[in-house]
Amino acid sequence: MDDSVHSSPNKSPLGTGDGEPLTVNFTLNGKATSLQVAPNAVLLDVLREQLQLGGTKKGCDHGQCGACTVHVDGQAMNSCLRLAAMCEGQHVTTVEGLSRDGELHPVQQSFLECDAFQCGYCTPGQMMSASALLADERIGTDDASVKEAMSGNICRCGAYKNILEAIQQARLAYDATAERGSVQRKEGAA
Amino acid sequence: MNDMTQSAFHKPKVVGQRTPRVDGEFKLTGRAGYTGELHVEGMLYGYPVPATIANGELEALELDEALAMPGVVDIFHHGNFPKLHRSPNSMGHGDQVSEVRLPFEDERIYYHGQYIALVAAESFEQARAAAQRVVARYRQKTGAVSSLLDGDHDSDEEGQLLESAGSSRGDPEAAFDGSAVKIDEVYHIAAESHLQMEMHATLAEWQGEKLVVHESSQGVFYQRNAMARIFDMPQEHLEVISHYIGSGFGNKLFMWPHAVATAGAARELGRPLKVVLPRQQDMMSGGNRPASRQRIRLGADREGRLTSVIHDSTTETSLVDQYVDACGSATPSFYACDNLAVSQRILPVNHGTPCPMRAPGEVSGIFALETAMDELAVALEMDPVELRLKNYAESDPSSGLPWSSKQLDKCLQSAAERFGWAQRNPQIGSMRDGDEIIGYGMASCTWFAGRQPCEARVELRADGTLFAACGTQDIGTGTYTIVAQTVAELTGVKLSDIEVKLGETSLPAGPLSGGSMATATTLPAVAAAVRDALSALKEVATGSGGAFEGADADSLTVADGAFSDGNRTVSFADVLAANRLASVNGKGSSAPGDEQGEYSFRSFGAHFVEVRFDPGISRVRVARVVSTMDIGRAINPPTARNQVEGGIVMGIGMGLFEKLDYDPRDARLINSNVADYIVPVHADAPEIDVELLDYPDFKFNEFGARGVGEIGLTGIAPAISNALYHATGKRYRDLPVTIEALLADQRSA
Repeated sequence: MDDSVHSSPNKSPLGTGDGEPLTVNFTLNGKATSLQVAPNAVLLDVLREQLQLGGTKKGCDHGQCGACTVHVDGQAMNSCLRLAAMCEGQHVTTVEGLSRDGELHPVQQSFLECDAFQCGYCTPGQMMSASALLADERIGTDDASVKEAMSGNICRCGAYKNILEAIQQARLAYDATAERGSVQRKEGAA
Repeated sequence: MNDMTQSAFHKPKVVGQRTPRVDGEFKLTGRAGYTGELHVEGMLYGYPVPATIANGELEALELDEALAMPGVVDIFHHGNFPKLHRSPNSMGHGDQVSEVRLPFEDERIYYHGQYIALVAAESFEQARAAAQRVVARYRQKTGAVSSLLDGDHDSDEEGQLLESAGSSRGDPEAAFDGSAVKIDEVYHIAAESHLQMEMHATLAEWQGEKLVVHESSQGVFYQRNAMARIFDMPQEHLEVISHYIGSGFGNKLFMWPHAVATAGAARELGRPLKVVLPRQQDMMSGGNRPASRQRIRLGADREGRLTSVIHDSTTETSLVDQYVDACGSATPSFYACDNLAVSQRILPVNHGTPCPMRAPGEVSGIFALETAMDELAVALEMDPVELRLKNYAESDPSSGLPWSSKQLDKCLQSAAERFGWAQRNPQIGSMRDGDEIIGYGMASCTWFAGRQPCEARVELRADGTLFAACGTQDIGTGTYTIVAQTVAELTGVKLSDIEVKLGETSLPAGPLSGGSMATATTLPAVAAAVRDALSALKEVATGSGGAFEGADADSLTVADGAFSDGNRTVSFADVLAANRLASVNGKGSSAPGDEQGEYSFRSFGAHFVEVRFDPGISRVRVARVVSTMDIGRAINPPTARNQVEGGIVMGIGMGLFEKLDYDPRDARLINSNVADYIVPVHADAPEIDVELLDYPDFKFNEFGARGVGEIGLTGIAPAISNALYHATGKRYRDLPVTIEALLADQRSA
């Protein structure tokens, strides 16, 4: 917000005085999406406000709480730390894209069964991180490794014990599916 | 209370059973609509501008650049915000607010983060960009009070003494002076942030003379009542809605100025307006647990019987309201002791107004009292569990009333056994594992059980489904689910055929979601409404043209969503269909009764904590927590246990991490973000073993439930500090116990 880079205000409803709107093309929950976004629009806000996909939550707005976690090309990322314009050509998956054909994803199912949430506000982010780490072979399967890997997702209700249990329970479903050879562990292009 | 002995809830089939949350799928698929993600046609976005000083006056606002930015519709401030009516502030009238000062009321600045303007724009990005271009000029004053704990106020005489908040019995001062063993220490607890995951949010929409407000709220009726007074409109012209709440922990109980600013601006704009507080502003002006200073004096005889308890507390309040965090409120009921005094003082500081935060007052008081009890046990060379049992209060010493049900002795015994307390070597630092010293500590805990008046409505529908409604809220505790369980219990209708609606002021008046009171308050009213609906349907069934025409209504039994006379069974749906009715309705209400004068109601519990301390790097970890709670009956055991486990995690934060840091020079809040205000994360979560005893408290209500939201948090911080003493020999009386404090003690050791 340095004054020296302050451009003249434009009349576009998307403009903020900091540049012309940009067009961004990406795949969102499996669907090709083309959007006009403000250059300073953050992916999180574009999801929640422009696209009205409220499942991705805002908890801190600067990469500290994990509530906004989405998958970008299969990697868990804080959507509040990404400009929407950076998503050109990428595959973005939100919690709305986690369940398929009305069936809960194994992580969603185990979160329900283990009561791995209370208020539910951090939960989409927890599940997006959990589903990414279950597919990530670099992360150990023991409790300590899972807890370490999940520590970017704060749950102020403190349901950590049940979240851990849910992730380890979902792992069993993942492994069973993998043995049948039909699991699609990564979304989109790697 | 008349038919309690015949209650269906004495041997329930659904109540008390593990029940997955009925709202779970909405939360897990992203379909639960929390306030901040709602949209209405024509909506504008608001972004508040916070004061950057904590004490002074706003001299001028330069708005030209911001107003000229694209998408900006208007900017509201002291000079143009509409004049409103004074804020009410009464618990008795149900219109309590969190901060009585209205937004933009004058140009005085009382705290860092106080709203000085509100930008309204077409998009969120535009509103935020313009808010950052608003230039404010201040006349800053010296003398801001940054904290009760800033060093200048650390005495018994600081602050204003509140006579009405004190109590005493016997002659505590004389008894203390004459005691064989004495503890006299001072305890400090830093201000904390609720840091609820969903920030405060308001969406206000005027529809002609009516106002619809979506708010992330723990008390929709309180907000409606307050707004009706402030905007001078009939209550029925106002609707406050809160279907899903990203938790609150107390700071969403009562309305804050951002909601008034949003609704007032929306009226001026003639368009709906949504404001989601940025996290920084939420932490500055959306509530905090105030810092406290407590002095505890305990006197005892050589056998460990308490002869005197004196508990003097001072807590912060703001300069624009008066909030009292009553630290001593549990103390008079805690231990059997004839001589006791509790006092309370408040000190105004330049902060946004403090407010209740989970187990308000008592959690702070119990830290001081239960740490002091551990100190007394050490002085007596007595086991801390034994000391607590020795001073066990068999009835409530503050009122003389018998307890409705108290199983604290069983909590202490059961948790001690599961924890392995008997293996504790009381010698300091004697238990080791590699580089780590193991410390064992324990504390008792308690929270009062309260009930409020409540109304509910139930509809039996011709399609076989059932609708239950109450204007309380589900803040994550599981209220939707326990209401559905209650309805299922009394009707035999499947949970999947029961629709529950909460969180609207168009529904029958329900209670605040706070004080661990929602369960005991809401369920009796829901049960009454179900019974009322069932009698209405029985009348239909036995009346003219009914499925059981001419039968005695009292002879019909209810099971599986149907009536039976012993020969025939007819579903509720068929009963309605036979009379071509779409539905029948039932209304119910409930309130505390005569039992309030006959018994004292409290939940109790015990926490046992293992800490591991690595002296080489001054690292402390809570490794293990074993707890047993006596909460009456748990309506839904997994969600109840989840509450206690969550309280334990929050207690680890209170014990080791959480501190709002205010700059001692100018009272500005330094760590108003989630990176610098530290809360427990997954890696901090210990092994937790929570047991819920099952002693239904039928003297309290027919469900036997006393509530469970707060108690898990109480007692954790002292159990940690007591375990640290066992590990290190250092007594930690100031929270949080930071690594800096541990490091300093290691250096000087």
